[in-house]
Amino acid sequence: MRFITLLFILITGLYVSAQEKYFTKQGYISFFSHTSVEDIKAENNQVLSIIDFSTGEIAITVLMKSFAFEKALMQEHFNENYVESDKYPKATFTGTIQNLKDILEGNNTIAEIKGKLTIKGITKIVTIESKTVIENDSITLKGKFMVTVADFNIKIPAIVRKNIAESVEVTFLLNHQPYKK
Amino acid sequence: MVILMKKFAYITGIFLCLGLLIALFIIIKLYNKPHVDVESTKADYIISIENIVREFEENEEIANKKYLDKIIQVEGNIIDITLTDGNGTITLDSKNSGKTVVCSMIASENIKVVGLQKGNKITVRGICTGYLMDVMLVRAIIVN
Repeated sequence: MRFITLLFILITGLYVSAQEKYFTKQGYISFFSHTSVEDIKAENNQVLSIIDFSTGEIAITVLMKSFAFEKALMQEHFNENYVESDKYPKATFTGTIQNLKDILEGNNTIAEIKGKLTIKGITKIVTIESKTVIENDSITLKGKFMVTVADFNIKIPAIVRKNIAESVEVTFLLNHQPYKK
Repeated sequence: MVILMKKFAYITGIFLCLGLLIALFIIIKLYNKPHVDVESTKADYIISIENIVREFEENEEIANKKYLDKIIQVEGNIIDITLTDGNGTITLDSKNSGKTVVCSMIASENIKVVGLQKGNKITVRGICTGYLMDVMLVRAIIVN
């Protein structure tokens, strides 16, 4: 009986502490394109991400222009030709953690997040797996997924086709803090 | 006649090689084009944090057209400062208005970032990349 009570307190305790909104303005997202010709990497440290742990909903927004490349020319091509960031300044992801209960109860640390990824005005349904670390005052999501460039109407000119991968690897690290108004 | 032809072929060869070298040089130069040097470039807009955030809040589309990729200089109080994995980020507020600018500092400014703390009043110049909950600047430097 005592064990059950303890378990009950533990679980409800977790739920209470988790029934809040968490957010970060300084999340990290990078993408990496690997081909035999060259590797291209771009990093963004200004990712906005909000999690509502009462519903499992997640909303992530990034500014395309905040992606920093090693080469200025690549950054210019990325913004002007590939993602047209003047016309589509943001990419967004809105989704829901499918196995929220397991995550909150600590039975699983891999969250399965299904949702809509919008890049360059085109929305695709994607499922992303994310390692989830819940600590007292922070919730960290960490993982990778692949994005097929052609899915989002990003046209790569023939001359650089060998330099840019057809699918790029997106890495994210989002360290959320409690959201205070 | 044969000698003349030979001479002609020789000269054309030299010119071709020269042309190729110049083309290669230009391509390499273009490929390695440097990033905008915020340090040595004058700000396109020197503006208060309140005003720039308000412009984005009122009409993001117009503000995007006006400020994206432009060099912005703002002055404010540090309300948050982080330095993780060599990436310094400073959040600036003015007069506790709740309107804030988030500046991703350029790596060469890290030494200065380390010496700063919350509450310090600083002036920052960086490239505007848009608006989320704050106005975002990248490649930012500390002016004073």
